[in-house]
Amino acid sequence: MVDKTKAELQAAFADLTIIEESYPQCGYHLSVDLKAKDILEVAGFFDERHFYLAVELGVDYKDYLELVYIFSIHSSLCKVKVTLKLDPSQPAAPTLSKIYACAYWYEREIHEFYGVRFEGHPGLTYLFLHDGIDFYPLRKEKIPVSEKDRQELNSYSPALRDDSLFINMGPQHPSTHGVLRVVLKMDGEYIEDAYPVLGYLHRMQEKMAENRSYYQFLPNTGRMDYLGAMSFNLGYVTAVERLAGIDVPARAHYVRVIATELNRICSHLLWIGAYLADLGGLSPFLYAFDDRENIQDVLEAVTGSRLTYCYFRFGGLYNDVDDAFILGTKAVIARMRGRFALYEKLVGGNVIFINRTRGIGVIEKERARKYAVCGPVLRGAGIGMDLRKKEPYAAYPEIDFEVPIGTNGDALDMYHIRIKEMETSLNIIEQAIERLPDGPFIVEKAPKKLKPRKGDLYHVVETPRGELGIYIVSDESDKPYRMKWRVPSFSNLMIFPELAKGNLLSDAVAILGSLDLVIPEIDR
Amino acid sequence: MEKENLPPVSFAVLDKVLDLARANSLWPVTFGLACCAIEMMSAAMARFDIDRFGAGVFRPSPRQADLMIVSGTVTKKMAPVLVTLYDQMPSPKWVIAMGNCAISGGPFVFEGQYNLIEGVDKLVPVDVYVPGCPPRPEGLLEGFLKLEEKITGKRRFPGPVERW
Ligand code: SF4
Repeated sequence: MVDKTKAELQAAFADLTIIEESYPQCGYHLSVDLKAKDILEVAGFFDERHFYLAVELGVDYKDYLELVYIFSIHSSLCKVKVTLKLDPSQPAAPTLSKIYACAYWYEREIHEFYGVRFEGHPGLTYLFLHDGIDFYPLRKEKIPVSEKDRQELNSYSPALRDDSLFINMGPQHPSTHGVLRVVLKMDGEYIEDAYPVLGYLHRMQEKMAENRSYYQFLPNTGRMDYLGAMSFNLGYVTAVERLAGIDVPARAHYVRVIATELNRICSHLLWIGAYLADLGGLSPFLYAFDDRENIQDVLEAVTGSRLTYCYFRFGGLYNDVDDAFILGTKAVIARMRGRFALYEKLVGGNVIFINRTRGIGVIEKERARKYAVCGPVLRGAGIGMDLRKKEPYAAYPEIDFEVPIGTNGDALDMYHIRIKEMETSLNIIEQAIERLPDGPFIVEKAPKKLKPRKGDLYHVVETPRGELGIYIVSDESDKPYRMKWRVPSFSNLMIFPELAKGNLLSDAVAILGSLDLVIPEIDR
Repeated sequence: MEKENLPPVSFAVLDKVLDLARANSLWPVTFGLACCAIEMMSAAMARFDIDRFGAGVFRPSPRQADLMIVSGTVTKKMAPVLVTLYDQMPSPKWVIAMGNCAISGGPFVFEGQYNLIEGVDKLVPVDVYVPGCPPRPEGLLEGFLKLEEKITGKRRFPGPVERW
């Protein structure tokens, strides 16, 4: 696939220099540096070949600004990094939002954090930041926002645009699970359009990463996605290990898998409870939390925390697991296996639930690709991409498991997929326990101070919500030069306005819930 | 007004009764901000069961609530919303700052930060601080007990006995 893509790309654009990169080191296969005028054609090339735009981001190298596009494909392993160098005093680039719908969102983000103008972009207004901010936060030097930009940035006011009825859902709304705000443009009971407004929990994580050493940033990862804290933790440590070339003992790999999968079950359980509560049924919430507490007990004994885990270290684990942990995990597996029948009775077979979710928020394959949705939402749409299988990390390559796939892509499918994923997780844990090797749980000489090689890396892992991508640029110091988090909830949220259009207001809740959003992860 | 015209009753006893009622039926507003909100939810669920203290009636509308648990990070974008919510709550009302973020900005304070309110007490008066990142549900329960003590002047349970 890589060779084929390279040949085709070369044939289509004769004067491009395509560099083959080492995938184990960088996380992508090919890299291309472009002129701004070519980007649309190159993106068109990838679009034709069913690539999706995994992430678009900016890096400030002081002499120039760089836009990085990572193109990837669901069906096989081939990643291409496309870069674009911009003049830092007047950064401007053409917009990709007409080709890839997700670029609309990424470009808004880059615009407010770097001040890059995207020509032809339909809505460059504030997305994350509050109106009072007067500089571009992620630029290395403090550059004030120009007056013209400021007016444009602050221009978001739907009520001024026309006299339809607007309904504010959030930022304090029980079904947005946190502080998401969605402005809904209504036509009677039907939704004409939806505008998510983000940033109510923007905690400056990416800026913070540039201010802290690799070690200091470690606890932040668990606070980004607090429901899948282990996965985020794992993503970060595996990314840095890959960048700095640290080996990890086999035992640590297996324990990582066990802990992450336990956490995945916790996360899905919470989703079931919260989703059903959104739809009006409170009792599943109590059952789900009961199960969750049991799992948390097991994890707490070894990690020391209940929610915002920070268990993994570069090169291994914080401490070893003991027999009590193994026994506890086995008990959890036995208990959970028996609970699925109960959930089926309580939820899956419930007529009200089925009628409220069947055929709601249907995601087709093509649309899923344009928006680069990921995780259970993508698999619900019928694309069986699971990064644990596609780009295996930790001990996943040695474990045998199935990836559940949906057929209709509606909210009901998302429920079934998440239930099946919990069963898959149980199988994974069981195998991992069986094969758990003896030996050290952390490398003997775990580095006290990290100074990874110069260069960049795009590393992905599968979190409970989907593809987490971490893009790190290292300048050989002990702090990352730039760290971008491509978070799964953000790309799953992007598709929401399209799904909501033409639906009833009450269904908007059902759709929003089915996407399983975690807001601090979107806002970062 | 002349002194003789004052009503000859004292409301002190009634106030006490009211306080007792208030302390035993705190209605929090459903207002989860970040990670700490999940522990707040845990506190309301079966194992920790905040209903034991009459405080399990989470209200989505601030107008029906008298307690705000600020459970998470308060950003500058969120601040006006938070203050509006607080203003909409009918008096008497109380605030619990749950977690380090709500107390002081917690782990997200660094030089040059541009989006954080370093402590919710800069916006609204706070009655009880519950430290932790996140605090355990038991911690939040203890916060409730403290608040009850603050309202009635008495602790519901005697404190832990020092035995050794
Ligand atoms: S105090 Fe810690 S757990 Fe609570 S919201 Fe802040 S970061 Fe999250």
